[in-house]
Order: sequence, then C-alpha cells, then structure tokens
Amino acid sequence: MTIRTRLSSWYAAIMFIALLAMGALLYNELVIQPRRDARRHQRAQHAEHHPQHRDHWLRMDPDIYEDVTGIVMWCGVPAALLAIAGGWWLMKKSLAPIAALTAAAEKITAQNLAERLPRARSGDELDRLTDVFNSMLQRLEASFSHIREFTLHASHELKTPLTVLCGETETALRDESLAPSERERAASQLDELRRLARIVDGLTLLTKADAGQVTLSLEATPVDELVRDNFADAQILAEPLRIRVELTACEPAVIRGDRHRLRQLLLNLADNAVKYNQSGGKISMSLRRVNNLAEFKISNTGPGISADVLARVFDRFYRGDPAHESALEGCGLGLSIAKWIVSAHDGTIQIQSAPGQLTIVTVRLPLNDAAR
Amino acid sequence: MRILVVEDEKKTASFVRKALQAEGFAVDVCHGGDEALAAAAATPFDVLVLDIMLPGRDGLSVLRQLRERQNRTPVLLLSARGEVNERVEGLNMGADDYLPKPFDLVELVARVRALTRRTADNKSTVLRVADLTLDTLTRQARRGGADIELTAREYRLLEFLMRSAGRLCGRMMILEKVWDYGFDPGTNLVDVYIKRLREKIDADFEPKLLQTVRGMGYLLKEPS
Repeated sequence: MTIRTRLSSWYAAIMFIALLAMGALLYNELVIQPRRDARRHQRAQHAEHHPQHRDHWLRMDPDIYEDVTGIVMWCGVPAALLAIAGGWWLMKKSLAPIAALTAAAEKITAQNLAERLPRARSGDELDRLTDVFNSMLQRLEASFSHIREFTLHASHELKTPLTVLCGETETALRDESLAPSERERAASQLDELRRLARIVDGLTLLTKADAGQVTLSLEATPVDELVRDNFADAQILAEPLRIRVELTACEPAVIRGDRHRLRQLLLNLADNAVKYNQSGGKISMSLRRVNNLAEFKISNTGPGISADVLARVFDRFYRGDPAHESALEGCGLGLSIAKWIVSAHDGTIQIQSAPGQLTIVTVRLPLNDAAR
Repeated sequence: MRILVVEDEKKTASFVRKALQAEGFAVDVCHGGDEALAAAAATPFDVLVLDIMLPGRDGLSVLRQLRERQNRTPVLLLSARGEVNERVEGLNMGADDYLPKPFDLVELVARVRALTRRTADNKSTVLRVADLTLDTLTRQARRGGADIELTAREYRLLEFLMRSAGRLCGRMMILEKVWDYGFDPGTNLVDVYIKRLREKIDADFEPKLLQTVRGMGYLLKEPS
C-alpha cells in the first residue's frame, strides 16, 4: 500500500468520524433537545394528571434510530467519499516532490555520480531531504573517485619498476654465456612479468573507462568482416585442441564502432571459447541481424558454468574455479574489458550456461546501416 | 648510427643503452628535457628515444620544440601512461613511433632499427632466405621447388618475418604489423600461427629456418 493510499484512507476515516460527531451534535441540539423539552413539558402536565406512569419518558423514541441512520447515509458516506477523493489529490500533490526525488535518485548509478538531485527551493522538509541526499551523493562520489585515482596511481607507479624488471631480465637473457637452466628461469620470470604488465594495463584501461577518460574512435564498421577475420583466428587457436569451429551465419551488418576495440572483444570471446572448451569439442559462431541489432553469438561445448559463478563472471579478477583456472593464462580482466567494450557501444552482452550444457555468449550491438 | 636516449629513470636508461649498443648503435643518454634539446641541437642524431614523463620540460614539449626548429630526427616516444590519446597526440606532433611501458627490449630495438632504415627498405619483390622464397606480387611461397599454400594471415606473417630476416621479432611487433593490433590482446595467437607456419615451411625441409627465442621472440634466418 502506498503512503498516498494509506494517508487518504486515514483522512477519509477521520473526516467520516468528525462529520458523524458533528452531525450527531447538531441532531442533538436541533432535534432531540427540543423534543425532550417538549416531552418534559408534556410529562409535567401528564404527571399532574397520572402520577403512576412516572418512568414512561425514559424509553427512547424509535424515530431517533432512523434519524441516526439517515445522518450516516446522507452525511457521513458522501463526506467520506469526498474525503477519499480530496485526500488522494492532496496526497498526490504533497508527495509529488518525493516521487520526483525518487525518479531522479533512481537514475543515479556509479557512472553518473556527479549528478545531483534538483532542489525545489521551498525550504520545506523535502528540500532538507534533498540536501541530505545530495551531500550523501557527494561523499559517495568522492570515495568512488578516490578509489579510481588510487588504482590509477597504483598502476602508474607499478609501471616504472615493471619496466626496469622486464628490461633487466631481458638483458640477462641476451647474455650468450647463460646456462640453459638459468636461461629457462629468466625466461619464465619474464613470462610472469609480462603477465603482470598485462594485468596492470587492463586495470588502467578499466579504471580510465570508469572515469570516462577513454575515447573510442567511432566510425562505420562492418562487423561481418571482423567476425569472418575472427573466425579464421579462432580456427587456428582451436586447432591444437582439435576443437571444431563453425560459422553458421554471417549477415552483413554495419555498426558505429571502434574497430580495434571490437576486434579485441571478438578475439577475447573466441579465446575464451577455446580456453574453456574441452579437447575435441566444438565452437559455433553466428552473426545475424535481429530487428535493428547486430546479434553475435558464440557457443562452446565446455563443462558449463554454474549459476553462482555465472552471476559474477563479469566481475574484475573473479576466478570461477581456482583449481581449473590456475592452469590457464590470462589476467582475470578479459570479460570485464569485453563488457566495457560492449556497453561503450551501447550494446548488451549476456552469457547463458549451466553445468553440462552449452555455454552461449550473446552480444547485441545497435546497427547503423545509414552509414553504409 | 647514433642514438640519443632521453630517460630520467637511471636503470631503464642503462639497459636501453646496453641493448642498443649490443645492436651496434652509438648511444648517448641524457636525463632531462632541456638537456635533450641542447644535445639534439649540438649533435645530429639518427634517432631519438624520448620518454614523455621527464623532470622539467616533458617529452612532448621537447618534441614540439624540435619540430619547430625544423629538426626532423625520427623520434620514438616512450610512455608509462600508455593512453591511446597520448599516442595519437604524440604522432600528430611529429613523433614517428610510440611504445608504451613496460616494453620488451626486442620491440624497442626493432623499432629503433626500423626508424633508421626507413628509406633503405628492401624493395625487391621476391624475398629469399636460404631456399625459401616468397614472391610478393603473386603471393606465392616456395621451398625446395615445392609450392607452399598459405592463408592470407600466414602470408602476411611470413612476409613480415622474411623482411626482417636475421633479426629477432617480438610478439607485439608481429601483432601490430600482421594483425594490426595496437595492444596486446592477451592470447597466444602469435605462437599458434608461428607453429603452423613452421609446419608448412620447415617440417619437411632442412635446415630449419624459423626459430623461437625463448622469452624474446622469433627469428627467421639461415643457420650459419
């Protein structure tokens, strides 16, 4: 029940009782009292003649019952109805600022924390509420940007020592006199350093994307070409694991997009479809036009993803199954970056899966055929 | 060939210098922007390796000054920020290449080398390494008298490796030249393609031409 309904009913009930009481008082003043006076007068006369019938006047007149029902019917009920309508209107009017406040607050997410709720400037309780809300947003925004800045600074700070470490390890590797075991150790360290560098890069990218500092170079991009390219790369990636890759449909589709980022997205999805597959499995891709969207689907015959893992796959650094994951290369940010690329193109990405079932990733991007 | 390395971080400057010297370049190092401008005015360098974040005058400002003074020395920018915008800004300002930190030395050396021999590129239409030939007009690869079938991507990879024959090629450079990726997509795409290419050009032939140098990159050359 909304506040408005509740308050309106209370208001109606109070009106009902108040009017009833008022009706009853008026009735008492205007009808009962004069009648009683008249009767007392009669009784005084009567007593003089029949002193044995003294208590007769105490019995109520049946007319009074009818009159009370009449008051309720003709006075209370219309008043209550009127009160419901009036109360509804009154409440709507007084709660409108709250509704506006709610609508404005609903629109605020982590992406537009800088926005503030509009103040009515009437100096009332709602204005005060808006102020409190806005100052809370301000604190929230401050702590969000604090985290962003921290991550950004941290990744900058990490880059200098990483550069030195990579460079010096590589310099050591160039030494011809290095023993094979030492060479292997240095090379393995270099692999890990590069992985660390990729993590730092991914983190920087996502942090900047959060702060809206990454600009995409948007232009009319034929996605079908990119998908066909990606299909060729996926076949090569899948070959060592004897995974079969098929492209079931590739309809021409042009979108307004950043070519490089879209290729990164497709490659990432293809790479995941290989990594999380089983040897001898299958990958199926398709690109179709559905209404005014380009719909890219890629499925794999991996072990499937359980519901609780599925809910978090786009989270940064989220590792579904640590035992399985540790064998895989990667920076733990691939799907977070994929999601960012899709939403930066006003698209959606979703993953459908269950243990033992096909995992299907669907990306939908708005078409831009006018640019063709 | 003389290279000026402008980098305030001493250790980085040191291994960059060593790596370039190992390639036979003469290397000068300076640690600040103003110092770099003075050095570039005094000596004609063949390539400038310029870090963007420098104390005092930053790298982009050094670059702007150089170009205003009609100094056309090829410039390779280094940056720890690795922003796409920064790359574009640097290239628009007249930088010739851009390398985000942390970088692989192989990449840095290859890029510097590419800048020094911009004009002296191999113009021949038939590339040759030992008995492996690649005709860049017909896109036909042959070895030991047999035609080798290549996909479009494999062809581009082989062409790139043959044009840089005898020199180490890093993964990033390959991703950039063959796949046109300006960033590391974080897959083993290059390794897998190299493996396939090796099966086509090396498996049935001797000597083996395409080598993997662990931790550094790939090398196509005739064993001496």
